[in-house]
Amino acid sequence: MPESILVVVEQREGKLNRVSWETLTAGQALSAETGWPLQAAVVGGGVAGLAGEVAGKKVTKVYAVESPRLDPYTPDAFAAGLKQFIEAQQPKLLLMPHTYQVRDFVPKLATAMGRTVISDCIGYKKHGEKLVFTRQMFQGKLAADVSFGCEPPWFVTFQNGAFRADKVEAGTNAAPVETVKVDIPDNVIRNRPHEVFKEAKQAVDLTQAEIIVSIGRGIKEQKNIELAKQLADALGGEIAASRPICDSGWLPMDRQIGSSGQTVAPKLYLALGISGAIQHIVGMKGSRTIIAVNKDSEAPIFEIADYAVVGNLFDIVPPLIEEVKKAKAGA
Amino acid sequence: MLIFRKPLEGIERPQMPADVVIVGGGPAGMACALRLSQLIDQHNSQNPDKQLSKENIYLLEKAREIGQHCLSGALLDPRSMRELLPGFEKQAPLDAPVSQEAVYFLTRKGKFKLPITPPPLRDHGNYVISLNRFVKWLGSKVEETGITVFTGFAGSELLFEGDRVTGVRTDDKGVDKQNQPKSNFEPGYDLQAKVVILAEGPRGSLTKQLITRFDLMKDRNPQTFGQGVKELWELPSGRIAPGQVIYTMGWPLTSKEYGGAWMYGSKDNIVSLGFVTALEYPDPRLDPQHVLQDFKQHPFIAGLLEGGKMIRYGAKSLPYSGWWAVPPLAGDGWMIVGDSAGLLNSARLKGIHLAIKSGMLAAETAFEALKQDNFSASTIGQYQAKVESSWIRDELWKVRNFHQGFEHGFWAGMFHAGIQQFTGGYGLRNRYPGTAGYQHMKKLSALSADGGDEAYLLGPAKGDGKLTFDKLTDLYHSGTKHEEDQPSHLVIHDTNICNVRCIKEFGSPCQNFCPANVYEMVDDAEQPNGKRISLNPSNCVHCKTCDIQDPYQIITWVPPEGGGGPNYDGM
Repeated sequence: MPESILVVVEQREGKLNRVSWETLTAGQALSAETGWPLQAAVVGGGVAGLAGEVAGKKVTKVYAVESPRLDPYTPDAFAAGLKQFIEAQQPKLLLMPHTYQVRDFVPKLATAMGRTVISDCIGYKKHGEKLVFTRQMFQGKLAADVSFGCEPPWFVTFQNGAFRADKVEAGTNAAPVETVKVDIPDNVIRNRPHEVFKEAKQAVDLTQAEIIVSIGRGIKEQKNIELAKQLADALGGEIAASRPICDSGWLPMDRQIGSSGQTVAPKLYLALGISGAIQHIVGMKGSRTIIAVNKDSEAPIFEIADYAVVGNLFDIVPPLIEEVKKAKAGA
Repeated sequence: MLIFRKPLEGIERPQMPADVVIVGGGPAGMACALRLSQLIDQHNSQNPDKQLSKENIYLLEKAREIGQHCLSGALLDPRSMRELLPGFEKQAPLDAPVSQEAVYFLTRKGKFKLPITPPPLRDHGNYVISLNRFVKWLGSKVEETGITVFTGFAGSELLFEGDRVTGVRTDDKGVDKQNQPKSNFEPGYDLQAKVVILAEGPRGSLTKQLITRFDLMKDRNPQTFGQGVKELWELPSGRIAPGQVIYTMGWPLTSKEYGGAWMYGSKDNIVSLGFVTALEYPDPRLDPQHVLQDFKQHPFIAGLLEGGKMIRYGAKSLPYSGWWAVPPLAGDGWMIVGDSAGLLNSARLKGIHLAIKSGMLAAETAFEALKQDNFSASTIGQYQAKVESSWIRDELWKVRNFHQGFEHGFWAGMFHAGIQQFTGGYGLRNRYPGTAGYQHMKKLSALSADGGDEAYLLGPAKGDGKLTFDKLTDLYHSGTKHEEDQPSHLVIHDTNICNVRCIKEFGSPCQNFCPANVYEMVDDAEQPNGKRISLNPSNCVHCKTCDIQDPYQIITWVPPEGGGGPNYDGM
């Protein structure tokens, strides 16, 4: 069996992941150095088209590894399908980008084949006949050279940015594309993928809010947050909090104001039951108008408040909500 | 529900061989690394065919940057630095040579200046420094040698094989509040070392593991500690001269507590001031940060600070007990240096020079071991003998009973210190016994409910925002930051004791002795006393007081994710 290098490019929902080109660049460099021919594989449901895209690059062959069970992606199916394919083709060295998807299935694949993965590499070297891959250690303070002690196939993943996608060489002629059907029994797939969704970057961008109703310890119990939310809704503002509230998990971390959270400067900042420790103040003191409600007339929040309301927020907020609603209805 | 940090189990960790691993990049650790490099360079230039490598010598430092967690008064006795780097005065960041010194005894409103400065407090020839800047400089010297300093990496566990220390495990990174790995999880490394040098500062967490495992404190006096709470002030020019040193005793403490204050004039109108309260006071309601605030309100001190501005804050414990509390210093695969070993002169309140010297001696020992490629107790154990025949022992021997004399109050202490001065440290007997500080703490039932004549110094400080500060405001000026989503690195072994017993018996003193508002009792109707312990680990300034002072000894301080902690600058 001739020695070869196989790059498994990544596609997600029918689109090639850009980082795949980086891995292909790495593969081309390794191929030039070792003399081992470079092949590529695209894995999925119907990926012959994508394989054609890859075939434009300088590779000797592109495989479209297909099975209906490979779409949608599951780690079980990918590991099973690739194992079959690799056992048939017997490449010596497998290269993949160090993406979330690869991190998801490659440990399983390598373990199933009794092999090891050198992951998240930033480069390679050739020491005589030996291929050595470089990994970062101690958060990049050291670089470790690692080589395989086991028999091929060898699995290597490269860190995002380790090679340049724009350096990938085009081929003189399009490389042949071969479709390989793999047979994945249904019972190996234990994962049940749901709809793909994109998590919102940040549910809320408090820095853009014009009105913020912020709560502190004075809110006492998680269920009372509803009251502050009603006020925020009535005012058309966002809800935020000081650290203890988010620390208790009553509101998500992205709603925390202060030195360990967001810094905001809304038109109106309504501080309910916030004492005003400096750690909170530094996150909101730029607000145009600050209204503070606190039982303790000595609370430091009053030093920076434009309007100080000394009293129990549970007495003050419900009528305030009514008044705001009335005023808005009247306007 | 509180979840506490512990190294994850059942995971594979990267292994890394090492010759020497130094844990902690303070004065002791840095001096050790630098001395080791000097000896290797010297050896290599004389033995071209038998080269020793520095490549596998590593220093772990939990701070994100070198020196960031170092805090001291500080006055530097230059003795050991002159041995380490002759002529260091020309390049080190020394703020001012000590130009004048005075010791005052404060009463509530008045003061007496001691007619003569007691010999241990005579500081001519010493330098006012910022320890964190000094260590930053020393660290840069170490980095030039080619020894690798891993900043942002803490030692989380010692590795053992039988009775031999075989290495250090570094902290797991990217673990969430529930002790589950996050997407950025990186397991701690197992550094397999031929010798581990513990230079963690006072109450080192690995040192504690070692002491517990080998029962190293048996036959020793218990270590006792002080808590130094420090503020850096910028004063109107001319108020306190560079190199001016003021010590005070007395107020606000009463004769039942031990402690005192310092004020050191630095350059550019910066003044370092702070108060060291011995962690052996009887009243659990005492709060050392409050003590510092009271101190500043004394008319003499308030006058000096008027018109000035507090710019930095921090706190740190220091080991007080002296020679009789120094554990065995070396064994199979390990050495202990500096404050971790308790090498501090409690009469002079100085330990930096001893830390540096002990680091150098440990380096000399490690060098011999490297040369002979023999790291057994027979070579490493030589460190013990080196310390005992060095001036470290001479200096500490003379004050071996100093601190114990003060265990029964200020006046008894002055009496003992006086006679020890004339008997070479002997006093009334060769070895005064000692008591662990937390054992002096009395239960609330044995104390007057309102605090009696000490009421003014108990409980949290209020702060006027100019001269005095509440704890959270002070804390802000320490620049402390941690990854918030991680398990608590303050490990409480039984929170039931906090919620059920301690709150009634001692009134939850953790809230008072912690200088960083880490510990809080929050309302919880389901608890028998209506309150429950709650932690703010990200406030922690790494002073170790909780590990030392809690009356049930149920708190263990372990390092948080590396990189977190105070951001001291000029401290």
